[in-house]
Amino acid sequence: MNPIVVKSLKKYFKEKGKTIKAVDNVSFSVKKGEIFGLLGPNGAGKSTTINILTGLLSRDSGSIQILGYEPEENWDYVKNKVNVSTAYYPVTEVLTVKQNLKVYGHLYNVKNLKARINELLSQFELNKISNRKVIKCSTGERTRISLCKGLINNPEVLFLDESTSGLDPDIAEKTRTLIKEYQEKNNTTILFTSHYMYEVEELCKRIAFMSDGKILTIGTSDELKKLIKDQTIEIKVIKNHKDLKKLLKDEGVDILFTEKNTIIFQVTKGSNKTYEILNKIFKAGFKLSHLHINKPTLDDIFIKIARKK
Amino acid sequence: MKLNRIWAMLLKFWYITINRPDRIFDIIYWPVIDLFVWGFASVFIQQVSDVSFLSMFLGGIVLWIFVWRSSQDIAVYVLEDFWGRNLYHQFSSPITLTEHMFSVMLFAFFRSICTFVVLTILAFIMYRFFIFSIAPFIFIAASIAILSLFGWAMGLFVTSLVLRFGQRIQVLAWSSVWIVQPFSCVFYPLSALPTWAVPVAKVLPTTYVFEGLRAIINGNLVNISSLLYSLVLTLIFLVLTSFLIRIAFKHAKSSGLLARGD
Repeated sequence: MNPIVVKSLKKYFKEKGKTIKAVDNVSFSVKKGEIFGLLGPNGAGKSTTINILTGLLSRDSGSIQILGYEPEENWDYVKNKVNVSTAYYPVTEVLTVKQNLKVYGHLYNVKNLKARINELLSQFELNKISNRKVIKCSTGERTRISLCKGLINNPEVLFLDESTSGLDPDIAEKTRTLIKEYQEKNNTTILFTSHYMYEVEELCKRIAFMSDGKILTIGTSDELKKLIKDQTIEIKVIKNHKDLKKLLKDEGVDILFTEKNTIIFQVTKGSNKTYEILNKIFKAGFKLSHLHINKPTLDDIFIKIARKK
Repeated sequence: MKLNRIWAMLLKFWYITINRPDRIFDIIYWPVIDLFVWGFASVFIQQVSDVSFLSMFLGGIVLWIFVWRSSQDIAVYVLEDFWGRNLYHQFSSPITLTEHMFSVMLFAFFRSICTFVVLTILAFIMYRFFIFSIAPFIFIAASIAILSLFGWAMGLFVTSLVLRFGQRIQVLAWSSVWIVQPFSCVFYPLSALPTWAVPVAKVLPTTYVFEGLRAIINGNLVNISSLLYSLVLTLIFLVLTSFLIRIAFKHAKSSGLLARGD
């Protein structure tokens, strides 16, 4: 049984007479203990999907199952085993860190709450600020507080909606490590959304790309990268830059960027074209000071999707 | 309803209150101002009249607390979640709307009691007025119950509007109760109202409570049937507003207001 199963999910909004398809026929499932990434540009429908799964938003049609239940049939059971963390919505800001965790601990009926709070506070290095009001905490601290709240009930399913947004690289790295460690220790199922591709690549086993409310593709990071048919080659020549540019143009190569002695061009991946072009460049006697063949990244896919290519 | 969740919400409201001086301050500020103004005014009027104005006015002020506090606190504590964009975490947790509203009602009642105690003590110190000496305990207790229930109904009504239309109508949280007050005959009898206002006053349960209070002060017996009628009216209001808030909550879930919290 997959802890999260979404089938033909739809949510449309009406705005000024126009219908906005926020989530349009979305289907996916997340396996037990899997970190599943939902990726896509702003307005793709990632947060809307999570909001439906957490019961904050009603759906127009389609079905969802969480931990084997249609949530509406048994929200009480489901919500006690699920939690959510996001950088966008703070916990109660006029309360201290500890007060917030106490309130949420009681809401989720956590046993040995005091011990659980202390465990989380030390795990997330929040001991020193446990009596500080959330409103006085930094962005990084708030993110960690939100994660503590998300983990207070040891959830079987955790929704992380842009939960590392706005963090500096050091804190973001620490946070990712904490998420990873926690997930490995507890075999938690995580649905993760983020704008940071490297983060998704590092954490998620499978990734779904969303755009305009639809899932365009689902796969592992390697499978997704294979969707990019082109690879870019960056070359720096010591001299005769213009001649090289002409040679590439004659070969029908797609030049992406030229500046001083640097040229970046694109060739189809997996064909002999890369070898042929480089062979011609060497045979023509160009002296290269730099050669780099870029592997496609998730960023490339993200940009292509965002630009609707 | 699960007790742990109600306890969690009460704890949250308690923390909000002790962390914010304005939340403590507003328990006593306006009631005490009212007590001073109306108290001194009625002392003066009583010097030139035989009618027991002091008991009527102060009795009205002290009992009105339960409508005002209950109604305003429910709306304001829900608005607090809007302002803090906290609905997201709250309603993604296992808490239900019923549990949430019940907790906020209980807390509003607790704050009403705090204000009531402060006013009762101050009124005694300043004017030798003691609410329990002007009417039987059972009448005061029944009045408190009816007025609190009606305050809850008002609070649910305003909260429904907030859930339906968002923060743009938040001014109603503070003002709605004062629209009802002139028709509730808190400080004057029903006969003092103009003809067009009488039907409005008669559908308000509050009117019967304050009319009853004045009758007792004037030496008449407690009109039980009138109080029962008032209670039935209150329960009708409560049932209607409970339906209304369910519809508004459903709308908030469908429109995305609950998720966005704006």
